[in-house]
Amino acid sequence: MNLDIRKGELFALLGPNGSGKTTTIKMLCCLLKPTHGTARVLGFDVNKESRAVKQVIGVSPQETTISERLNPLENLELIARLRGVSSDKAREWSNKMVEIMGLESRSKDQVRKLSGGMKRRLSIAMALIADPAIVFLDEPTLGLDPQSRRALWEYIAGLKGEKTILLTTHYMEEADFLSDQIAIMDSGKIKDLGTALDLKTRSLDKRTIIIHAWNITIKAIDQIREKYPDVTINGSNISITGSELDFKDVTDYIHGTGAIIRSAYFKEPSLEDAYLRITGRGLSA
Amino acid sequence: MRFLSLAIRNAKETYRDPLALGFLIAFPLLFMLLFGAAIGGNSDFSFTIGVVDEDNTEISGQFINQALADIPVFKITVFESASQVTEGLKNGNVESALIVPAGFGEEIKKNWQNQDSDIVLELIYDESDLTFSSQLISTVNTAVKNFARVNIPITIHTSHINIGSKVSQIDFVAPGIIIFGLLIMIPTSARIMVSDKESGFMARLLATPTYPWEFLAGYSISMLIIATIQIIIFILLGIAFGMNIFGNIALAFLIFFLTAICSISIGMIIAALSRSSNQAEALCWLISMPLAILSGVWFSREVMPGYIQLLGDLFPYSHAVSAARIVIIRGAGFSAVSDSILILIAWALVAFTAGILLFRYKMRA
Repeated sequence: MNLDIRKGELFALLGPNGSGKTTTIKMLCCLLKPTHGTARVLGFDVNKESRAVKQVIGVSPQETTISERLNPLENLELIARLRGVSSDKAREWSNKMVEIMGLESRSKDQVRKLSGGMKRRLSIAMALIADPAIVFLDEPTLGLDPQSRRALWEYIAGLKGEKTILLTTHYMEEADFLSDQIAIMDSGKIKDLGTALDLKTRSLDKRTIIIHAWNITIKAIDQIREKYPDVTINGSNISITGSELDFKDVTDYIHGTGAIIRSAYFKEPSLEDAYLRITGRGLSA
Repeated sequence: MRFLSLAIRNAKETYRDPLALGFLIAFPLLFMLLFGAAIGGNSDFSFTIGVVDEDNTEISGQFINQALADIPVFKITVFESASQVTEGLKNGNVESALIVPAGFGEEIKKNWQNQDSDIVLELIYDESDLTFSSQLISTVNTAVKNFARVNIPITIHTSHINIGSKVSQIDFVAPGIIIFGLLIMIPTSARIMVSDKESGFMARLLATPTYPWEFLAGYSISMLIIATIQIIIFILLGIAFGMNIFGNIALAFLIFFLTAICSISIGMIIAALSRSSNQAEALCWLISMPLAILSGVWFSREVMPGYIQLLGDLFPYSHAVSAARIVIIRGAGFSAVSDSILILIAWALVAFTAGILLFRYKMRA
């Protein structure tokens, strides 16, 4: 794996389960020793300067790892103190973070009594406390409802430029919305790298035309299948995929079969298409 | 002071968890209460011993009529033969029998003259009552050693042996229960650490610039606070049930405290080696329960075979139990238990260092 993440960039790592996203983060956070090679975090070698690396990073692990019987303020203060912040400053930071994350009203409740969304927000606050230059967010919105997820996206998006953020996620929409750059991983390797637009565009070697039509007879279906092998017909919807599709040619041909076209358009390529194209559609063992 | 922040967090996690706290305090407390109720209260006791003098020398006479008779807890009846005393045992006229074999006087004399000697006594007792019998063995053993001036173990040799005092059952049992309570700190210490490891909280902590020793100190200090409270409660409860502390209470406390450090360090080692809380728990109980037996927590080690005693000697708890007992029961001073204290300190240092090294290794494994 060779990877460069620029300062202030929000970089997303995508990939199926077991592709090595979390392992990569663990190595960069000095929680796992690389079996081979090395990495530099803000110039510090993860193999030789782990303490220096840990001085500049903040981590929100995949699991909501918070001390359940402490309250949010106590959890935040603990991490700030472990990062070497003075007691007064740690309290000041903690109060600020609970406010930013909208947890003031629950700041004195034990964490085990908080909702999943609140715990996630607290977990991210713990990664951000004491102003680390680099933040690792391992699936930060996992299991959150759409409202909470959207709120967190907006907060994370607000950090762009201020901090370098490495994010892993299974939500394509999340990566699309937040990332400056995306790497798609599989089996411990970077399969593709670029902006969301780059990745989507690269998946355009085949395009899909979606046609909504009436009067699709059996004869018309046979004719369409004969002309376009990669076709899906579902009721009145026809989806044709091919590498050299010409919009006018396709619509004229469908029209020629006797079908009455109500609408037709090129399907916009999505990040998910790119992801599936790169990692494959099948489940790996 | 990262380790203090960690210690405060760990202490809060424990005292805010009623189950964990209950396990730490209530479990040994229950034993203390049961034993206290069962054997506390009217605790004066005596041994009725039937003695047979097969040696019939001046020395054996002195041993029976002076050395043994001077021990207040012994009520001695002299029998003519071994068969008579066995009969007396069967009838319940005596609770135990001591046969002084022929040649006893010669062997004692040899020892007085600094020659090699082989002093043999036959003691018959009800072996079903382990606590009673172990007291008996211990008392007779001490009496013989004093009389024969044998090179007795340093723990007894260099101090005044208060065996003539009114020793109660609770005096004998309470130090063992306290050590048992401290043995339970092995699973408790491991549990806190493994649960942090399992939940991933440890990973979050490890991603901060904290040194391995700071982590272990953070976990240990919180456990030591709990151990200190535990020791105080148990000592007070023992006293409430009639336990007499003939020796220095601070010395007894030191022994308990060092034992707690050993338990916590062993717990940390197990935590570092375990991959899950189930694994850690099984390993802890697999280690702590046999250790409780090997160390003579419940009954005297003198009733155990030599090789078992030797096995027990390898671990700190047997030294802790015997040292605590001779301080509490016999009023022994520091010099009498200094060897045991050194062993406890050595164990604590080695185990804590091993914990740090293992933790450091596992931090990036």
